[in-house]
Amino acid sequence: MTNNTQTQSKPSASQRWQKLAAIGSNQSTILVAVLVILVVVFTILEPKFLSAQTASNVLTDWGSVVLIAVGMTYVIISGGIDLSVGASIALSGVVAAWFMVNVLGLSPKATGGEVVYGLVLGTIVAILTGLAVGLVNGFLITKAKIPPFIATLATMGAGLGFAVIISSGMPIGGPNDFTVISAMNPSTNPLSWAVLAVIVVIVIAGLFLHKAKFGIYTYAIGSNTFAARGAGINVERHLVAIYALSGALAGLTGMYVYMRLGAGSPSSGTGRELDAIAAVVIGGASLMGGIGRVWGTVLGTLILFTVQSGLIMAGVAPDWKKVVVAILIAVAVAAQTFNKKGR
Amino acid sequence: MAIGDVLYEAKNISKKYGSVVALDGASFKLHAGEVIGLVGDNGAGKSTLVKILSGAYTPDSGSLFLDGEQRVWTSPREVLDAGVETLYQDSGLAPHLSVSQNVFLGREKVVKGFFGKLGFVAKKQMEHEAHRDLEEVGIAVPASDRSVSQLSGGQRQAVAIGRAVAWARKVIILDEPTNHLGARQASEVLQIVKNAKKKGLGVIFISHTLPHVLEVTDRIIVLRLGKIVKIAPTSEFTGDTLVGTITGTIQTLKLEGD
Ligand SMILES: Nc1ncnc2c1ncn2[C@@H]1O[C@H](COP(=O)(O)OP(=O)(O)O)[C@@H](O)[C@H]1O
Ligand SMILES: [Mg+2]
Repeated sequence: MTNNTQTQSKPSASQRWQKLAAIGSNQSTILVAVLVILVVVFTILEPKFLSAQTASNVLTDWGSVVLIAVGMTYVIISGGIDLSVGASIALSGVVAAWFMVNVLGLSPKATGGEVVYGLVLGTIVAILTGLAVGLVNGFLITKAKIPPFIATLATMGAGLGFAVIISSGMPIGGPNDFTVISAMNPSTNPLSWAVLAVIVVIVIAGLFLHKAKFGIYTYAIGSNTFAARGAGINVERHLVAIYALSGALAGLTGMYVYMRLGAGSPSSGTGRELDAIAAVVIGGASLMGGIGRVWGTVLGTLILFTVQSGLIMAGVAPDWKKVVVAILIAVAVAAQTFNKKGR
Repeated sequence: MAIGDVLYEAKNISKKYGSVVALDGASFKLHAGEVIGLVGDNGAGKSTLVKILSGAYTPDSGSLFLDGEQRVWTSPREVLDAGVETLYQDSGLAPHLSVSQNVFLGREKVVKGFFGKLGFVAKKQMEHEAHRDLEEVGIAVPASDRSVSQLSGGQRQAVAIGRAVAWARKVIILDEPTNHLGARQASEVLQIVKNAKKKGLGVIFISHTLPHVLEVTDRIIVLRLGKIVKIAPTSEFTGDTLVGTITGTIQTLKLEGD
């Protein structure tokens, strides 16, 4: 191989400078820097910000969006969009709650083994519900040839409709174990078991995107659909799989949100699809397809909720969050354009 | 296959896009060890024929025979698996993927064992082999972990050609492979075509640069408005008569059978 002549000698000043420039233009380094700056600024504004309690709040919020954001990363890399994930969170939470209460006969007062049994089956039902929405999306997009924006807008409406019908518009309370979703130790360890589970799922999704054929095909389709098809990739089947994945992750998130509330609520996913899209774009993905990283999305989501938490603690009106997020999105997109021109 | 056997045959292929007749009853035979030039004005139907031969499009009517066996392609995958490689005009590579990911796209090498079954790829091995394969084909190889979007037009074209030649077992179809190329790179491509011919592959070579066509092909097919108006050995053409046949200023009297 040619360009691999690494020298053992000390790097020269210009080499060192080049290395520094390379790090500076690296998307995830920038995101980490933004995160650090945000934490510093919020801590200056409100010293209590730097605490395990804040970290726990941010992480718990993060867990309720990051999985759909990871699913959205796949979808956006493939050149699509999935507006239905917020509705899927609500629908799968409601369906799981309804299932646990009416089919398993468990009340919010259930304890011990019954709760574990209920939550495990409820999780499966929630994932299957999200998966079903995802499969409908995949079908509408690949078979009915409806553009992703319209197809998932339609299932978003239908999903919310079903969630309201099943729940009569009210949260359905069911069995729960709040220790799973609470910080392991509020003063020293902000992690919860639920957040740990979310991290495991993210790592797996990241490996499949960046190390496996499934990911390569996802990039190939978003990069040049004709080339992907010409290389023998079954583009339609792959797209169905991507929307199914996005749906299943929304279903899992539905259960996560259920466990936060102890209830399946038809309004529990409202606007989450926009949070996810914002996180993915801040994380460096391109809505034109072909570009994006799970790590970027993870950081993008973290930035989103750090901003939200920080503004609240600093006593700033919550509506400013939207302004700050808008600025972050604009900066991320501008950075992308700038990077492209630089090459 | 022996030199001279019919490798790939098209019979009466027609294709319309809405009301536009892109191909009208095209028939020809490609032999092992033969290079056929496919020429015609813009819009003559060359790329449409390519996409039908590669399984990207289905013809409205007509039939295809590979090694004498009739084939109805339902996907490009089947055609690739049958040993027919295609370089599409202008759209062969995924720019966001690396050189090696493009070379191996759809045919990735996976790691051994359980993770291989899950589709985890052997990145280093593919980078190494992509580099080696491209070099073997005679392509000046950019580092195979580089993103294709960072390559020049000529380098991209080289990678696309290298991929087609490296994988082809029977037929290579090259749709305007010398576009975007400088003189030296173009002559490298012509050399690649000659090498493929020597190996006994059948080559369909499409180009607007008629000196290239005259240099490298054994026979020439002239398409005009979707119809094959002439098939003849390259030696029967001069630059002028070829231009005349393409534009229609020279009347075409008869078609040679094969
Ligand atoms: N995807 C398409 N949709 C509609 N018309 C097309 C399409 N592709 C090609 N055509 C038309 O079919 C005819 C043949 O085009 P093409 O096969 O690309 O010719 P060539 O490669 O010889 O320039 C042209 O009239 C072109 O405009
Ligand atoms: Mg063409």
